[in-house]
Amino acid sequence: MTATAVTAPTPRRTRRRPVSWTKLAWVSWRQHRAALTGAAALLGALGLYLLIFGLLGNHAYAKVASCHPAGSAVCQQLAHTFRADYWGGNGSALQSGGAQTISSLLLAVPVLLGVFLGAPVLARELETGTFRFAWTQGCGRVRWAMAKLTLLALVIAAATFAFTGLFTWYYHPFLVDGQVSRLLPLAFGLLGVAFAAWTLVAFAIAAFTGALLRRTLPAMAVSLIVWIVLAIGTATQLRPRYEAAIAAKGWNVGSGWVVGQWVTAPDGQALSQGTLNSLAQHAPASVQNSHAPDAFQNWLTQRHYTMWTAYQPDVRFWHFQLIEGGWLLALSAVLLAAAVWLVRRRAA
Amino acid sequence: MNAIECAELGKRYRRGWALRNCTLSIPAGHVVALVGPNGAGKTTLLNLAVGLATATTGAVTVLDGTPAGSPDALDRIAFVAQDAPLYANLPVADMLHVARNLNRRWDQQRAQARLAELGIPPQKKVGQLSGGQKAQLALTVALARRPDLLVLDEPLAALDPLARHDFMRSVMATVAADGISVVLSSHVVAELERVARYLIVLSFGQVTVAGNVDDLVAAQGGGLEEIVLASMRDSGKEVPA
Repeated sequence: MTATAVTAPTPRRTRRRPVSWTKLAWVSWRQHRAALTGAAALLGALGLYLLIFGLLGNHAYAKVASCHPAGSAVCQQLAHTFRADYWGGNGSALQSGGAQTISSLLLAVPVLLGVFLGAPVLARELETGTFRFAWTQGCGRVRWAMAKLTLLALVIAAATFAFTGLFTWYYHPFLVDGQVSRLLPLAFGLLGVAFAAWTLVAFAIAAFTGALLRRTLPAMAVSLIVWIVLAIGTATQLRPRYEAAIAAKGWNVGSGWVVGQWVTAPDGQALSQGTLNSLAQHAPASVQNSHAPDAFQNWLTQRHYTMWTAYQPDVRFWHFQLIEGGWLLALSAVLLAAAVWLVRRRAA
Repeated sequence: MNAIECAELGKRYRRGWALRNCTLSIPAGHVVALVGPNGAGKTTLLNLAVGLATATTGAVTVLDGTPAGSPDALDRIAFVAQDAPLYANLPVADMLHVARNLNRRWDQQRAQARLAELGIPPQKKVGQLSGGQKAQLALTVALARRPDLLVLDEPLAALDPLARHDFMRSVMATVAADGISVVLSSHVVAELERVARYLIVLSFGQVTVAGNVDDLVAAQGGGLEEIVLASMRDSGKEVPA
């Protein structure tokens, strides 16, 4: 217990060199091999689907794009058929769904991958008691936890980022076609860095919750809910405010993401929804019964009301991607660091 | 030289004190038995010594002044927790590989020789081993780390009499060959009589007896079991049957 006893080296003690990261990476790989294989199989199957229908879609779209003159009835018909087949999925029984449905389904992939891989990393060890083995080995529990979490996080981020490349190619015709704005929630989460960032944050939430709850299944359930609330909250509340929306007169603006619409009276006051409804009820029968979609709007314009649209233009796509990717990356790093901290301070 | 040394060591969990005011020195180079009824604080004391838990009060050091849980202590202590937790889904060979990659010191030849001797097939999954084989595998993993101190928490609790005998014989052979220190806990006294050289009795978080088995027997007479029972009666509680 004296100072000399601490500093005097015993013959068996050598200069400490910590257990190498490559050895710890092998341990992480061996322990999570099955889960990583499952994740790769899921991404692979989806990737194969995107590859096949991406080839068909890009081929079909090439015909639409090369059709001359673009305004002719033949070309219009060709473009219409393309949209119905590949966006709406009316064309073939094989392609049940089309890009519209597929992209909605793909939005669930980040949370499935992240929660499935992240929740067991620490929770499984805690619930089966193997942490008593792992945390008493020579490498130490902090290094062990850092190695596991970092390796899996990197693999997941890299794999999903590569998947985004394939999806972007598959989705290209619908974007250039003007079918969807890249800023629409349906597309935004699957393009750029968002898909990888949302997968990473799902992984980090699940790993942290697993360390906190010490049970895999409850950690999966809780992190699933947290992720969904975070994703919906971001798409509806946060993302529209990354930059001040542009307000423009009229209800048809250029390519962009519409985040709000309202009507102002001739005196410049914005109308409440109730006022607008009563206006609609008092409009002449010819307007109310008209089949033209913009009859009511034209009537309002004639009476010196103004229609406004707030929107985020398409050119802001990368700016928004970097903002969202940035804070998701920071949040993931904080959660993973917190998970390591829980491992460090957790008593048996 | 001391294997484990505690000064005023205490540990409080949310449900209350698991160990209180524990001051003791466990000498190195022996097989030391830590005895006491269930809930006496044995596991808590061992968890503190191997760095799985941190002390609420006081301090614990291992192997002559190394702070428990420090990198140096982790390197030199091998711990087998109760029920010998290992990765059930891994084959035995991969379990060894995992343990090898988690440590700086590792003797692969020793591990493989021991498994061959025990007749444990390397391709079998850990989860499919018998209780005795699993305990032996955990001991093999621990010994392959070439520890200076081996800590075993209730190593015999889940084993049948034959497996207990084989397990203790393995431990004794190691002590004889390597001269390492062994600290093992048990709530059953009878099986320790032939192996333990030093005895510590814990009762309700307090040390009631600590000393050389030979000295204790000479002073009090009777066997190890009588000494333990007497000390527990003194502390005011009956030993659970």
